[in-house]
Amino acid sequence: MLNHVWMWLIAIGLIVAVARDVNDEVRNSYRNGIPLTVQFVVKNNASSARGAYEGSISSPAESMNQFYGKTVSQSDISQPASITTTPNGDQRIAIGTAGDNAPTVWKEMAKALGKEKVEGRVREITFNADHSIATLSIDLEKVSYAKLRSVTRAALEYADTAITICLGLIGVMALWLGVMKVAEEAGLLKVLTKLLTPVTKQLFPDVPPDHPAVGAMIMNIAANMLGLNNAATPLGIKAMEELAKLSPKAGVATNAMCTFLVINTAGLTLIPATAIAIRAAQGAADPGIIIGTSIFGAGCATIAGLIAVKVMQRLPKYKKALEVGDDE
Amino acid sequence: MNDIFRSVINLISVLAIPVFMLVFLGWGYAKKIKVYEVFVEGAKEGFSVAIRIIPYLVAMLVAIGIFRASGAMDFVVWALSPITTLIGMPAEVLPLGLLRPLSGSGSMGLMTELMKTHGPDSFIGVLASTMFGSSETTFYVIAVYFGAVGIKNTRHALPAGLIADLFGMLGALFIVRILFGV
Repeated sequence: MLNHVWMWLIAIGLIVAVARDVNDEVRNSYRNGIPLTVQFVVKNNASSARGAYEGSISSPAESMNQFYGKTVSQSDISQPASITTTPNGDQRIAIGTAGDNAPTVWKEMAKALGKEKVEGRVREITFNADHSIATLSIDLEKVSYAKLRSVTRAALEYADTAITICLGLIGVMALWLGVMKVAEEAGLLKVLTKLLTPVTKQLFPDVPPDHPAVGAMIMNIAANMLGLNNAATPLGIKAMEELAKLSPKAGVATNAMCTFLVINTAGLTLIPATAIAIRAAQGAADPGIIIGTSIFGAGCATIAGLIAVKVMQRLPKYKKALEVGDDE
Repeated sequence: MNDIFRSVINLISVLAIPVFMLVFLGWGYAKKIKVYEVFVEGAKEGFSVAIRIIPYLVAMLVAIGIFRASGAMDFVVWALSPITTLIGMPAEVLPLGLLRPLSGSGSMGLMTELMKTHGPDSFIGVLASTMFGSSETTFYVIAVYFGAVGIKNTRHALPAGLIADLFGMLGALFIVRILFGV
């Protein structure tokens, strides 16, 4: 199944990107080559002699939405901008796209071009009497194949992210694998394992109840319950390594591995630390209010996942994959 | 009551790791284990495990990155919105439900945004944070856990994991509607 899902994530992504770009091209969604009229409020004209201005672009939301033919801003825009004059007399403008009020389409355009700002050429500039406000007619830089560009960039960025994550894991991984090794040698895992044998025998019938894998799985689940994500991952990997020793066939997930994985993906935790922290940061009256509801939700996920995993492991397709000598 | 509850939780999250370490290492020491030597022996594996995960995580994250950057999510949301309206799920949180199994940081950003827009104590704010707390990043967990032991054929882990995610989301919706219903 993972093969199919993986391929379709990529295929759908690329197809949608192409379709959107064609659509943008046909409709000229970025209004390439069409001049846009905006007000420019001059902040300092100290250097205006050289044709350089700092200030901000402003425009009513209405006229922006009308120009782009869709809702690109909810409220009137006012974005920082600067005008410069090149040696050959052309006037260039750069408009910042940060902030919640910036038109969405400008953010997309800046992103597509890999910049923080949208840039363009000033066709006409007409100042009012005291040189504080100017009316501009500008041609923004042409944007095409925005989605394909961002898809390409995302592919490379995410590959980088994967490496960052893995390298970041080395430290915690070493720490917890070291601690686990001590616990294992000291027989601590065996004690834990014995305590929970009635439960683990039900969940993992293929794993001998006193196998080190059981101890590692219990530790992982305990760490998850306490919301210790840093510790849970190395412990879970340790458990997987132990489970792999019991596998009849390398490279294929066993029933016990799938069961253990589903328990992890259901993410049952007594302390959903991340969600609580973000709620607190957002000024919630009671950040911890979601503890009960999260336990209920994750409980549903765990039960449904366990039922699913136990039913599906009997399906002929999945049974066959584990048979030794079957190389499909 | 709530304050006590909160301080207990705070205490647990602060104490858990130090206590874990003290008990584990202390137990080993009491059992006359050469703790330093054994620790180093175990820790040695850390590097190779992390490196082993790289190809699996690259494959997974690149596919997810392409899917997200293309904006294909909007179409999935559009296609699913009749169903979610039927079961009383606000349209705003549907993208969060879809993104949750795919990307941890992405869904975290989305949850933060929903709380910023609607307020953390609003129905949507509570629902979003409950949904986030009710599940894990299934694709990431599969890549990391199975990658670490070189599992390429994941069998029924993914469908079962996604079923778990689905029911986690539905469970979150159900309980939040009952307790904080509109």
